[in-house]
Amino acid sequence: MENGASSEGKDPSTFLGEIIGAPVTVKLNSGVVYKGELQSVDGYMNIALEKSQEYVSGQLTRSYGDAFIRGNNVLYIAAV
Amino acid sequence: MSFFGFDTTLPRDRAPQGGQRGIFDTPDPFAEVIRSKAEAHHDDDDVLDFEDTYDGLGNQLTDEQDAFNDDTFGDVETAPVGKDFDFFGKTAQVSEVIGEEQVRYNLNNPQAPVAPVTETETTTVASNTVLQQPRRTGYEKYHDPGYIPDLQAKSSVWNMSSKVDPAFQAMSQARKMMSLEEVEAQLRGQGIAPMPSGPQMLLAQQAPEPPHPFQRPQQLHTLPDGFGQLPPEYLQAQFARGVPPHLLHPQTMAPEPFLPPAHTPSIPLHLLQNPNGPPPPPPPHMGPPQHQAVPPRGQHQQQQHPQQPPQQHNRGSSAQLPLITNPQQLMNLTEEQRVVYLMEDAKRAKRNHKIFLLSRGNGLMTPQDKNFITRIQLQQLVAAAGNVADNDSETVLAEDFYYQVYSQIRGAPRQHPHQPLGHFAQTYLLQTGNRVGGHGSRKNAQSGDNHMQRMQQQVQRAVEAAKAKPKNKQLIIEGSLGKISFGNAKAPKPSLNIKRPESSEGGKATKKPQTDLSLSDRKSILTNIEGVYNTLMELEDMERTMPPPPDENDPEAIQNHMEWRQNVRSLNQKLWLALKVMEPIVPNSNTPHPFIAFLSYPKGKKAIPRIFRHIDQEQRVTILTMIVVHLDTLDVVRRAHSVPGETQPSLAVREAIDLFSQAVLPSLLGYVSEAPFNIIIGLLGLVIAQTHVPFVAKTRIGLGILTMLLSRAEIVKEAGQASERDWQQWVEKFNVLFDTLEPTFGDIFPNSINTGDDMYVWQFLAATGIGASPEQQQRLVIAVKDRVMETVSHSKTLPADMASQRLGNVNLFMRAIGLDVELLG
Amino acid sequence: MADSDDAGTSSVSEPLDLVRLSLDEVVFVKLRGDRELKGRLHAYDSHCNLVLGDVEETIYVVEEDENEQETVRTIKKQEEMLFVRGDSVVLISPQA
Repeated sequence: MENGASSEGKDPSTFLGEIIGAPVTVKLNSGVVYKGELQSVDGYMNIALEKSQEYVSGQLTRSYGDAFIRGNNVLYIAAV
Repeated sequence: MSFFGFDTTLPRDRAPQGGQRGIFDTPDPFAEVIRSKAEAHHDDDDVLDFEDTYDGLGNQLTDEQDAFNDDTFGDVETAPVGKDFDFFGKTAQVSEVIGEEQVRYNLNNPQAPVAPVTETETTTVASNTVLQQPRRTGYEKYHDPGYIPDLQAKSSVWNMSSKVDPAFQAMSQARKMMSLEEVEAQLRGQGIAPMPSGPQMLLAQQAPEPPHPFQRPQQLHTLPDGFGQLPPEYLQAQFARGVPPHLLHPQTMAPEPFLPPAHTPSIPLHLLQNPNGPPPPPPPHMGPPQHQAVPPRGQHQQQQHPQQPPQQHNRGSSAQLPLITNPQQLMNLTEEQRVVYLMEDAKRAKRNHKIFLLSRGNGLMTPQDKNFITRIQLQQLVAAAGNVADNDSETVLAEDFYYQVYSQIRGAPRQHPHQPLGHFAQTYLLQTGNRVGGHGSRKNAQSGDNHMQRMQQQVQRAVEAAKAKPKNKQLIIEGSLGKISFGNAKAPKPSLNIKRPESSEGGKATKKPQTDLSLSDRKSILTNIEGVYNTLMELEDMERTMPPPPDENDPEAIQNHMEWRQNVRSLNQKLWLALKVMEPIVPNSNTPHPFIAFLSYPKGKKAIPRIFRHIDQEQRVTILTMIVVHLDTLDVVRRAHSVPGETQPSLAVREAIDLFSQAVLPSLLGYVSEAPFNIIIGLLGLVIAQTHVPFVAKTRIGLGILTMLLSRAEIVKEAGQASERDWQQWVEKFNVLFDTLEPTFGDIFPNSINTGDDMYVWQFLAATGIGASPEQQQRLVIAVKDRVMETVSHSKTLPADMASQRLGNVNLFMRAIGLDVELLG
Repeated sequence: MADSDDAGTSSVSEPLDLVRLSLDEVVFVKLRGDRELKGRLHAYDSHCNLVLGDVEETIYVVEEDENEQETVRTIKKQEEMLFVRGDSVVLISPQA
């Protein structure tokens, strides 16, 4: 219904639904990268990460137990 | 009239005399045209009569070549040509000749320019025929293949005309260049189509045909192709008058193999009309667009005698027109006739211009139409807001406007025969009734009011529905008008629709924390707190909606009350579960009890007063017991011990302690001050048995709770409510407590005497002193003597008000044991 | 408000739940333009508009000295109460 890809069973929403709980890499538009466990995503691409680490230009800069990332900043979410 | 109350028509689109009314606001646009035409004549005040102006030209016609007419048209005498004249069939009989003529013509005029089908044609017509003709005739739009005349818009949009012209349908399906045969068929089909408005609707019927990419509208609507074959002498004459040559050869080579090129000096559009006078008014067959359709046909008629207007033929709609078929004819007219003719033509041009102005709004939605669409959307909004949950196909069908209308019109069996006519359909029927009712009269203002009324009602309904369901996260309606999704401030429109894995796989990580250990996990504690608050809010909502005390004679009210109480009870249970007070106590566990963890968060502490309002005494004592048992693991006790070197705990801890004493202690005190004595005894026993008393006593909260218990016991004793046995038990426990604390009485004060706030200690000492035996009181005085003396001397260095405050605190204790600081003076 | 699950069954079912859990707690907020906030979260909405109390704002400013060496200077500000418009929010993290 959403798009024609349903026959393959993989649209972006399905993918995002499936990788919940998995370790992911999230890259923001600013270039900052977060690695952590994906707790949840929503329709705005807001992301909740668990045990996440922040990398600015490859350098580990911070660690967060939990982190909420506002969706508009997200460039991509990759399952690792 | 628009949704927002604006008049959305541009000033130039407003019909001059009708205010904001588009041509299609009137039920019959052409009636308007005819009326205005009639008005024009009245204005002129010289109503012309055909007989007055007829010059008798028809009588001068030579009939010598009329014999050929039968070849072309069949035997007129025996079978009069009707509206269904078979052009193609007749033409086919002479098609060879036509073909030859075509070839010959092409050879003779190889350089004839091919003009684009544009306004220049019209201009050419004007310049060739009537030089005064305004440049704008109102027909320009018809030359645009993309232009869709909306003459029938009303009926077609609302499907009012019950029959669809079969020829038209066939044509629509065949998406190709139309052969002449098809054009013919179409014309004939239209000729016989039952048109309510009479002959003048001929064009109206024809006009709304969707333009086909390959159809050549100019074939029907523009100049006859033979126009290029004007007699050379005429061309020269025109040339001499300064008409640019390109206007004289605009379109001679229009590639129309079927059209007879040379034979027909076909009829310039405006000459087709009676040059001698206005058309007879009553049968309004003179609707101007009609003439547009005429020329090609006149052309197809293969007239063999261009010099002679075929007046004698009574065929088709054009037959009654005395025609000037050749510009030469105009030249031949007398000066007077020509003037009359030209005047008439000027009027015609004026009228055409008027039509053009009137028809400008064609194809745009009228305000009513907009309202209608708006109302449909509102209906859907209401429907969707009303029941987002039950979005099954049945409801969707029932609410689908077009489905309802479709099934009404088709008479198709409804899928659910007993289903009532959908609201949409009802609205629709009402609406159409209005429209039909307005037909021919000028009731539009009234129906406009109805629109507004209905719209207001619907807006109201939408608002009510929105109020009733304020928690709709967002609205996505997929209805007949496409997918509409609404975001609002509380739920912006999402860009993705993520299906959450409801169960089993996918939620590996989400599953993980659901173990016993996780109960003290920070996130799950916070989740518990949110759960408690959710339930609290529900309970508080219930409190607001409490029904009035039921009248015993009103079973319904009693029933309501019972239901309400049942709901409250189940919410209470939910709250109790969420608090996790009853979770088993794990001795020597590293992780605190979930309820104690709950209390360690500021929002957990803040929830206690609200919780206490909704739980019963038994639950309150359970909570109090939990707190007392875990007194030394409470964060406000555990973290309250100042780090060596620091005069006082950290700011966060002090804030937590303040919060606890402001939020939790009053609730506990509220219960304790009414608690039966045996419970007080039990609680004191628990403190002694379960906690590290000296540790607890060194904290403000610990001392506060002990003070609470001790003073309650004293009040019970004073009131004489304590039984001898209970009192014995109490004294036993008290003695244990006293003995345990005696070595540390001097240490329970805050480290520095300068910190000031030691009132709670003096309060505790006072409570202890009151309940103590004289021997114990003496030991107590000895234990705290130093601190008393320190405070007295310290207060002498303080400003008077602070000093009296400090001394007052000390006196709390001193007076409890029958002394006073004054005595120390 | 929306989820009335029995407490304990749900941890974080949607990202904003994480923010919800941080209500009345101290949070770290990363903003666009190299700014950070630390303060108690009093309120939020789905746009990530935030109300923070007792806020410490840290601004990172990159400066060039005479040797064209880039140094990052931090400016700290203290605010009693702050409303943060959601569109500048990049990240919110509870400060355990």
